[in-house]
Amino acid sequence: MSGLPETVGTIRAPLALGLLALAFVLLALSGVAFGSTWIALDQVAGVILGAGDRTQQIIVLQLRLPRVAIAILAGGGMAVAGFLLQKITRNSLASPGVLGVIDGAALGVVIFLAALSNESNALVTSIAYQPVAAAIGALVAISLVFILSGRQASSAIRLLLFGIAVAAVAKSLTMILMLIGPIYQTSQAARWLAGAVNEVNWGEIQITAIAMVPIMLLVLVACRKLPPADLDEVSARGIGLDLPVFRILIFALAAALTALSVAFVGGVGFVGLMAPHLARLLVGRNIFAGLVGSFLLGAIMLVGADLIVRVLFAPVEVPAGTVTAIIGAPYFLFLLMGKQRHDG
Amino acid sequence: MTDNGSPYRIEVRDLSLAYGNLSVLKALSLPIERGKITVLAGPNGCGKSTLLRAIRRLHKPASGQILLEEVDIAGLGEKALARQIGLLAQSPAAPEDMTVEELVRLGRYPHQSMLQPWSRHDGEALELAMAGTRVAHLRARRLGSLSGGQLQRVWIAMVLAQQTDVVCLDEPVNHLDMAHQLDCLDLVRQLRDEFGRTVVLVLHDLNLAARYADHLVFLRDGAIAASGTPEQLMTEDGIARVFDVRCRVITDPVHGRPLCIPLRTETTGPVASA
Repeated sequence: MSGLPETVGTIRAPLALGLLALAFVLLALSGVAFGSTWIALDQVAGVILGAGDRTQQIIVLQLRLPRVAIAILAGGGMAVAGFLLQKITRNSLASPGVLGVIDGAALGVVIFLAALSNESNALVTSIAYQPVAAAIGALVAISLVFILSGRQASSAIRLLLFGIAVAAVAKSLTMILMLIGPIYQTSQAARWLAGAVNEVNWGEIQITAIAMVPIMLLVLVACRKLPPADLDEVSARGIGLDLPVFRILIFALAAALTALSVAFVGGVGFVGLMAPHLARLLVGRNIFAGLVGSFLLGAIMLVGADLIVRVLFAPVEVPAGTVTAIIGAPYFLFLLMGKQRHDG
Repeated sequence: MTDNGSPYRIEVRDLSLAYGNLSVLKALSLPIERGKITVLAGPNGCGKSTLLRAIRRLHKPASGQILLEEVDIAGLGEKALARQIGLLAQSPAAPEDMTVEELVRLGRYPHQSMLQPWSRHDGEALELAMAGTRVAHLRARRLGSLSGGQLQRVWIAMVLAQQTDVVCLDEPVNHLDMAHQLDCLDLVRQLRDEFGRTVVLVLHDLNLAARYADHLVFLRDGAIAASGTPEQLMTEDGIARVFDVRCRVITDPVHGRPLCIPLRTETTGPVASA
């Protein structure tokens, strides 16, 4: 990275972002084009603009576009959350999962399924409330992490440790509920846990998008303060940044983004870890480029993962989260080993 | 406001400070003169670093005030204070892959806001600071590739780019070898002479303190034991009283400043090392 001459350094970020944007658009279009019936790219564009026959319209607008749209929002949202966390903890292994948000959301879903089923294993309420349960679970988990950390909430390492502890408790409770629960719950819960982008409707996408816009705006405002947050606490104070307070803000923003991202699609793993890490490798240290790059890469990964499961496993719906986990886990190990080599 | 022509940039008034139940500073008062180098010295645990940190509002006083141009710093905003008092921490830390220029740019952070992004004035302050500390040629280097002495100069450049009237330095020569200690303190002197800064620093080495201080302050047990010029303070009795060290004080034949030669501690035998 450091070996690049200066001129390459200055055009590197725009170049990388441009390529990412291109890959993103192509992949998103392919996500709509591929499936049980192939719809050519020009026809896809036509349908989006209002042309095409009725079948095509249903396939594109009701079946495929929603899953691509939610994959973009959820993948991008989780990647930005991961970017913020990696930046503020100065640790490239930090990811949205460690704050306990995803496991808290999972527990919310499982409790919802267990509590609101009747004797014959049928839900007494609409499955549409499942994301609400996820969001509540996420909120309870992150609140618990902050409450437990108490006055030490400003310390990155304490917050992470409490986050991991809360995540572990939530995970074991989830397991217990799934094991003692009836079959229907278990498979429904397992779908959510793995993370899938199908079965999402436009209303849900709207909710996600509307809630995500103000959070992203806040992130853009806050990201100006990320470079001084690279310093130690005393030096940051010296140039006028109250780092402990700022850290709490960043953790809260990351938690909100994560909760929002997983509410409808479930616990998609590793996107929040890989995307920001790759983004920094590609675009360098620039914060704004890193943010945009992370969002694009996160979106690419989840859209791509969904595309892969659709091509490989059709007509069975396999959750996209399984692919991100299969690619993500070795990546995590690779990172870990690289770190050890570096430290030793 | 009554005393606009005050020669004092900062006045510490009746400052008391405690960590929990442990009282660290006790009703301490200290005027700090404009455009001078004030050195805080004293034995370990005397409260000198705490005092410096209190002046930069890193610690909240239990009672008393720190007045900056007659204004209590307790009421200033975080950035407003950072535009007036700069600080070089005792062990500052930044990512190793950050470049020199990136770090020095951070000195301009308190001058910027949403509505005031990077301006030409910021650029000038940046260049001035890098030129003044002779780090301009290192601008594209990563911090991890610098030597200890270079790194310290870069940190001073960051504080200089902040363009504060007051600069606080907490033991800036701690981990430096002899050449870089002198280099660093010459730079501090330059802050006073060329840039007209008021400098407050904590130093461990008495002889370095005597050589660079305009105003020397000895602290002991959270109170001021003595305050004045190095010549006034660096006496054999004075040093024995504050540091518990028997010594000879001679006049440095080159600079004419007092020079302390430690003999032994008051309580035990010979001093192992200075």
